Amino acid sequence: MSKMKELSKGLFKDNPIFVLMLGLCPVLGVSTQVSNAIGMSAGVMFVLLFSNMIISALRKFIPASIHIPAYIVVIASLVSFIQMVMHAFVPAVYASLGVYLPLIVVNCIILGRAEAFASKNTVVDSILDAIGMSVGFALGLTLLATIRELFGSGTITLFPMGSFSGVINIPWFYDNPIRVFSLAPGALLIMGLLKAFFDWNSSRKKDR
Amino acid sequence: MTKNLKYGLILLTICAISAFALAMTNSITAPVIAQHDYEARQLALTAVSNGYAIGTEAAVEGDQYVTYTIDLSENGKVVGYIVGLKGSGYGGELTLVASYKTSGELMFAQLLTNSETPGLGAKAADVAYMTKFQGTGADKPIPTNKSMLSDADSQAVSGASITFGAVARSLEAGSEYVKTLGGVK
Repeated sequence: MSKMKELSKGLFKDNPIFVLMLGLCPVLGVSTQVSNAIGMSAGVMFVLLFSNMIISALRKFIPASIHIPAYIVVIASLVSFIQMVMHAFVPAVYASLGVYLPLIVVNCIILGRAEAFASKNTVVDSILDAIGMSVGFALGLTLLATIRELFGSGTITLFPMGSFSGVINIPWFYDNPIRVFSLAPGALLIMGLLKAFFDWNSSRKKDR
Repeated sequence: MTKNLKYGLILLTICAISAFALAMTNSITAPVIAQHDYEARQLALTAVSNGYAIGTEAAVEGDQYVTYTIDLSENGKVVGYIVGLKGSGYGGELTLVASYKTSGELMFAQLLTNSETPGLGAKAADVAYMTKFQGTGADKPIPTNKSMLSDADSQAVSGASITFGAVARSLEAGSEYVKTLGGVK
């Protein structure tokens, strides 16, 4: 596969959320606000990039029979690292991500890509795979969070900067929120509709 | 045997490198985190003090909800208390700081730490969340279930009933505790 395809496959064709259906628990949980989605995506991006890089570099050193515990140690260490750094330097994002930040350890995307890709490919290809997959994850999660927050609360929550509070109230939607979109059933409903769209898009391309 | 020893050594090496890297990171971030926590607590104490003079902290042992109290005084007279509270939310323990008049009436409250679900229970950390409890605890009971709230407040806590219950019960316990302390020292 060409380097470009390696990079772009995670965006649509093998999108980790809507096609591979990986890491759905945190996706459904944090997609209530756009700022949560951005923070979670940044955490996943960092961990996936470095875990793919380290595991690919160590693939000949780690025997097959102990690869799972070795990968988990690497991933858990990276998550602990990002947790400490976020807690110290971006405490607002750390607080808003709550329990989902440590849960990146068991996010199926990270272990899935380590097992399915990084352990069998070169460091460069693993980096491209991590970038593509994490950008695909970020786009999917942010899209889901934008739709849920817009319809469920009528707001778009970003990060406060100076005099900007971080919350943009969207006219009409703000006065007429459809609360179910903020709750778990709304997450599943939007997730299902977006999954259907991705499936339709993929089958349309195959038919051509 | 040799194979197992080799596997053990490989895992040990990976664990040792990881532990060293994390220890180095912790040595850099721990003081910054401690400073943030201290500043957040001081800000919270000032925010809930209602302009009264903040006294010294007295630890409370053996209470399910109350962890410490601090006198609030005006012209040398104790007019209220800041109470450190803890509760059990959806994601684990949450801690609050709340100020009460000596009658047990809640003046202000703030959530300090929590592990609640982002976007749902974690909304309890918003300043506006606590306004529904203000002024209750003496003449009016502290609302401990959603039926005691207005429609708008009830909607605001929907989807996070466990968090609301934990916050409300902690604030109620704080109010009851303050009533036992009285105001004259």
